Parts: sequence; C-alpha cells; structure tokens
Amino acid sequence: MTVCVRFRAIPVFALALLGFVTTHAAADDENRMTGEGPGAFIVEDGKVDPNTYEGYLVYTRACMACHGPDGMGSSFAPNLIRVVERRGWENFAGTIAAGREVQPGQVMPSFADDPYVMGNIPNLYSYMRARGEGGLGRGRPRIIESMQEQDEEKDEAAEEASAED
Amino acid sequence: MLRVTGFAVAATGLLAASVAHANQNQLELQQNPEYWATQLGNYQGNRFSELDQINRDNVNELRSVWQFSTGVLRGHEGGPLYVGDGRLYIHTPFPNKVFALDLEDEGRVVWSYEPDQDSRVIPVMCCDTVNRGLAYADGRLFLGQADNTLIALDAESGDLLWDVSNGDHTVGETNTMSPLVVHDKVIVGISGGEYGIRGHMTAYDVESGEMVWRGYSTGPDDEVLIDPDTTLMLGEPIGEADLGVSTWPEGEWERGGGAPWGWVTYDPDLDLIYYGTGNPGTWNPDQRAIDGEPADNKWAITVFARDPNNGEVKWVYQKVPFDEWDYDGVNENQLIDIEFEGEERKGLAIIDRTGFGMLLDRETGELLVAEKFAPETNWADSYDMETGRPNVSDEYSTFRQGVNVNTTDICPTAMGAKNMQPSAYSPRTGLIYAGINRICMNYEPYETEYVAGQPYVGATLTMMPAPTQNGEMEGRMGSFIAWDPVAGETVWEVDERFAVWSGALATAGDLAFYGTLEGHVKAVDIENGEELWRFKTPSGIIGNVNTFMHEGKQYVGVLSGVGGWAGIGLAAGLEDPEEGLGAVGVFSALGDYTKLGGVLTVFALPD
Ligand code: HEC
Repeated sequence: MTVCVRFRAIPVFALALLGFVTTHAAADDENRMTGEGPGAFIVEDGKVDPNTYEGYLVYTRACMACHGPDGMGSSFAPNLIRVVERRGWENFAGTIAAGREVQPGQVMPSFADDPYVMGNIPNLYSYMRARGEGGLGRGRPRIIESMQEQDEEKDEAAEEASAED
Repeated sequence: MLRVTGFAVAATGLLAASVAHANQNQLELQQNPEYWATQLGNYQGNRFSELDQINRDNVNELRSVWQFSTGVLRGHEGGPLYVGDGRLYIHTPFPNKVFALDLEDEGRVVWSYEPDQDSRVIPVMCCDTVNRGLAYADGRLFLGQADNTLIALDAESGDLLWDVSNGDHTVGETNTMSPLVVHDKVIVGISGGEYGIRGHMTAYDVESGEMVWRGYSTGPDDEVLIDPDTTLMLGEPIGEADLGVSTWPEGEWERGGGAPWGWVTYDPDLDLIYYGTGNPGTWNPDQRAIDGEPADNKWAITVFARDPNNGEVKWVYQKVPFDEWDYDGVNENQLIDIEFEGEERKGLAIIDRTGFGMLLDRETGELLVAEKFAPETNWADSYDMETGRPNVSDEYSTFRQGVNVNTTDICPTAMGAKNMQPSAYSPRTGLIYAGINRICMNYEPYETEYVAGQPYVGATLTMMPAPTQNGEMEGRMGSFIAWDPVAGETVWEVDERFAVWSGALATAGDLAFYGTLEGHVKAVDIENGEELWRFKTPSGIIGNVNTFMHEGKQYVGVLSGVGGWAGIGLAAGLEDPEEGLGAVGVFSALGDYTKLGGVLTVFALPD
C-alpha cells in the first residue's frame, strides 16, 4: 500500500479542471491530517470527521462488494484509493454517475438513479482521500469525539426539521 | 398425475418401478463411473470417482492435453460435465455462456450459447458474478442464469427449449447455483440474502418449464410447505404452527433471506432432497430480535429435507438460530452411509460455514455429531446435542456486544470456515476431503433500512488470518483436510497460503484433488495428504476438479479463473493481526499471485 506519501498536492491538470478550487492535504501536527476542497477530511489519531465516516459506511454498502475491503481493490475492480490520487474529483464523481465498461465483464455500474449514493459522492471522496493522503488505516473508523456531538446535534436538527414538514 | 406417482414411491419404496423420467436417466449416468453427469458427481454429493487409471503410482506423469479460454474474466465456479457423448459441457460466470467442446478434438467448440441478460443484474450480485454450473438429463442441459431465468437447452444442438423466470433482479434476487434434476423436475434455489429477499426452492417441469411447487424458507407453514404435525425437528414433530413467522419481529420474515444458493443433494431410496438455507436478512442481529431478546428467525440457516414431488418438508434442522455472524447454512449435505455407535445409519454430513463438522441422521434430522474442523472456531464452544443448538460464546456474540460495537477476533469469518466449495467423500476411506478457510473477523452491526433492490446488510466487517496454532499456519489462510465425519476429527491437514476455495475430488486411484487460489491443481495421497503432483493453471481456482473416462482414457478437468468472495476479500490481502509486532508481509495479497481469466484445463496420462 502506498500510504507512505503523507503530504501530497493534487496534480496541476486536475487543479486546472477544478478551476478556482484548491485542494490539498496538510499535516497540521503529527496526529492530525486534514484535506480541503472536494472530499475534505480530517484524520486525527486514526479517527475521522463525520462526513468521512459516512463515506466509509456508504462505501461498504454500495462499493465494497466490487472494490474490496477498505477501497483496496478486488480481483476485478480497481483500488479506489489510487484512482482518487491519480484522477481527481471530477473523474471520480463522473464515473459514479455514468458508470463505465472498458473491458467486458468489468462493469462499473451507473449510480445515477441511486439518490443515496449520488448524495454521498463527496463523502465517498473524503473517505478515499483520508485513506490515501490522510493515512487512515483499514477497517471501520471512529468519529473524532469532539465532532461526534456536533454530528448528533445535526442529526437531531435534521430530524426535527423533517418532523415539521 | 406425476405427483401421485412420486407419492406412491415415497410410501412404498418401490423406486425402480416408478421413476421412468429424467431421474432414471441421470441416475444411470451417474452410476456409470466413466461419466461425470452432475456437478457433485452423484446425487449424494460425494464427488467420488471409481476410476483408477490415474493413481498414486502414475499421477506424477499427468499432463495437460488441452486448454480452452472461455473469454470471460470473472470467477469461474462449478466444472465440466461429461455424459458419454465425447463432449464436455461447460458454462461461465455472467454472461453465462454455455459451450459444448469436443473432448477428442482439443476442445473445438461444437456449439455455444449466450443468453441475453440485463447487465443491471451484475451490481446486485453480492459476491462476484459466479455460476456453479449446468445440470443434465435426457438430452437436455439446464442452466440458472444470473438474472434468474432458468433455461433448458438441447444438448445436441444448443438450441433453447424453454425458459422461465424464477425471480426478479430489480429487487435483488439473483441466481448463482446449479440446478438439480430429480424425476421429471428441475429444482433451483435463489441468491440475494444481502438484499433482503425471501428465499425459496422451486421445482419446474423438465419438459415444459412450468412451475410445479415452491417452498419458501421463511413465512407461514403453508408457504414453507411445513405441516407442524408431521414435519420433524430433531426427530419429533415441530408441534407449533408458523414458526417461520412468529420467530421474527413483525413482518421481518418477508425480507428474511434464507436464500438457498448452495448445492442440493438427493437420496433416491428415501426420495428426499436436502439443502441448506442462507443467512436471515440483515446482518444486524438487533433488527431480528424480539423484545430485545434473540429470536430464532426460522427457517434461515436450516437444513431442509423435502419430498421432491411436491416440496413437502419431511424434517428441518436449524444449524444456527438467530445468526449474528452471516453464517449462511448453504453448504452441501453429503449423504453417506455410516456406522454410528455400532448401528448402520443413513447419515448426512456437513462441513459447515460455522467451523463445525456435523453428522445428522438423514431419515429423521437428528443431530449425531458436531465438532470443530477449524480449530480456531470460537463463536460457539460446542453444540448441545439434546437441543441441537450451539453454545454461543457471549464474548463473540455480536448481539450481546451490541449495535455499533466492534466485536473482535471472531472465528471463523463470515466467509465461513468453508464456503460453497464442495467437499468429496470416499466410501473406501470413510473420510471427507475439503478445502477450508482459516480466516477470522471483526464484526460491527449497525441499524439499516430496507430499500428494495439495495443492499440490506447492516454490519461492517474486517477480516484477518486465523491465529497461528502452536506455530502452525504461519502465513497460511487455508487448508485441505481429511475429516472423519463419525469421530468428528481431522485425520490429516495440508496448509495453504490462501483459503482453499475449490471443490475437492476423491478417487479410487487413492488420490484426492483440489485447486488453490494461486491457480495450482494438486493431487495428494488420499492416505496422508502428501503432495504427489501439481500443475499451475493461468488463474486462481474456485471451480471443482472433475474426472471422467472417454474411450478408455481417464481425464481430469477443471475450470480456473479467480473470483468469488475470495477474489473480492483476499485480492488486496487481509489485515495482518501481527503487523504491529513487526511481522509485516507474512500474509500475502492474492493480487500478487493471480489475475482474472477463465480457462478449462483437461489432463490425462501420456499414451
Ligand atoms: C458491480 C461492481 C461495482 C460496484 C458495485 C462499484 N464499482 Fe466502481 N468499478 C467497477 C469496475 C469493474 C471498475 C473498472 C471499470 C473499467 O475500468 O472498465 C470500476 C471503476 C470505478 C472507478 C473508475 C476507476 C478509474 O480507473 O478511473 C471509480 C471512481 C469507481 N469505480 C467508484 C465506485 C464507487 C465510489 C462505488 C460505490 C458507490 C463503486 N465504484 C461501485 C465495479 C464496481
């Protein structure tokens, strides 16, 4: 696994594609890695922000059966950590929406009709970046404690909001 | 009318007089040791061949006589059929091509058939687009396509005779299993336990494809085809009605899984078919509990004995009530006649997903033996032989540990200590030969919601190699074992780098064969497991090794082509439990050894 590169700027051509958005990961201190731009993430002592955590769950539900555990690839589908490092946000989001079939039998399905996946593409991207740039290990991550409460409050607020509808 | 005939058979035992249908043809073919007419070699599921031209003394001269690329990339399960007409019949994963190959003419394609299927079925197949192969009887081949279409082909020409839909892939139902022909019926189950489907076994008329009966795995008795007054459980009538409903929280049985996607075996004397059902719906046990207490979730993970004529259930045995680990109970039920405590018994042996080797009485469903064949097994200490229930260890109970709690170091993994790879049984040695997995897991359930056609899983899991056993198993994730089903103990064991995911073969040539995930076909001495021969096929083997004789020459044939759950879970390597301790790299990634590609290899001795 190539997680040894802890700090990496996204290639120039991707920057050009993304226009004004700058995206990079930074080692804030020894135990904390953050990434900005599409797929922002925080990895702190092996724990993550709620969006990255959500990305992990969506990954296990919708992608793992083909792309293997922890984004690392299977016998027939590629390692997505590397794909994200190489190809960037637009390609990632575009492939999920459109699907792809370069070789017969290697079908990447389109998720355009799946609102759960479509709504979570940024979180999936966060998870993949956290695994790559962020050095996040394998398995189900924990949420950073201080962010856990925020997350629950957000959920409650959302529930109340929807209850009022 | 046919139904009535079948009934009379069961009642009177006058087998020979009655079954002048497909069964007779299939039975005759499988009794001829030169043929390999059904995926498991015979109805009893023994994968044993009387042929001994290839034997312990000359197997080192075995060489490939030809190879055939199927042109399909993903996991190739199942194996070639040979019914004496000089051809091999093979199939592929999705798109489920079928080929008739000329055995004498180096595999020249006599005909091929490719169904036209909706490719949207691919993403709803949980564990690769595998298919476990063709069935044959009376000049017809039967195939269960991924999209649930069951077809009959004319074996001579490859022409489609009929097709019928057995399920709906848009709600997550798919097919991976090989059908079985019994009497005038072709019997097939369904996959989709990870999509909240409701499992069933269904019989279709071989001539017309018309549905004859369907028995569900969950729900009311009249749909499961249980009669609580006569259907036995542990040798006694069940007594209580509709356990397939009352052992679930409100309505959960409707998405209760219990998909029977493994092998079906058949006892022609008792006129009963046997198969096991898969996991109960969501992997989050909390959502299957009643009032916060474990509920049996019947009849998931259950061995069914059914009358093939009308589907009626003769007996049931639930191997794992209230599953908490995804221990699908689909593994093959080997029908073996044994001596148990001084008595001749009609036995049924299982090398189960759970790590336990079981022996049952196949007339009554009573449990006789349950012992660990994978020594690391820890989710249960043992089975209570009175109640037939496992003594579950709280420490590894994902329900007791709770939702959103990561229960660690559970053995075996959800893949099972053995998955679908069918075992072999030699009546000469009285032993079962099986490829097994030595992998453990962490399992964390979470709340999930059912949406038709979406995964209904509700647990995340990570896998790691089983702990080493007294220094053994270092860097190993699988074994090939010889198991004594009566004594409940391993007689010998060969350890392998990866899980052994191929079907085994035992022969009268004192050999056992199996394939490895790296792509080796191996022949070992049936007495002690000593390796006598190996050949490296182009890709990992998850298919089964079959053997047959044509014009006086014995052949061995195997499909290679890595994939299945093994190809998904092991490609990038497992988490190494010792990694923090400086033992990096002991456990290998399958992707470093093998890549995709379906190939049939046929072997024989030099002339
Ligand atoms: C049914 C199996 C399957 C599922 C489910 C699946 N993928 Fe894929 N995916 C593939 C295959 C196979 C490829 C390679 C396709 C090719 O190159 O032809 C692929 C390719 C991709 C690529 C492009 C890789 C590249 O080289 O640029 C991305 C990005 C991707 N998948 C993301 C996802 C995400 C995110 C999910 C979950 C929401 C997902 N996939 C679910 C099978 C799958």
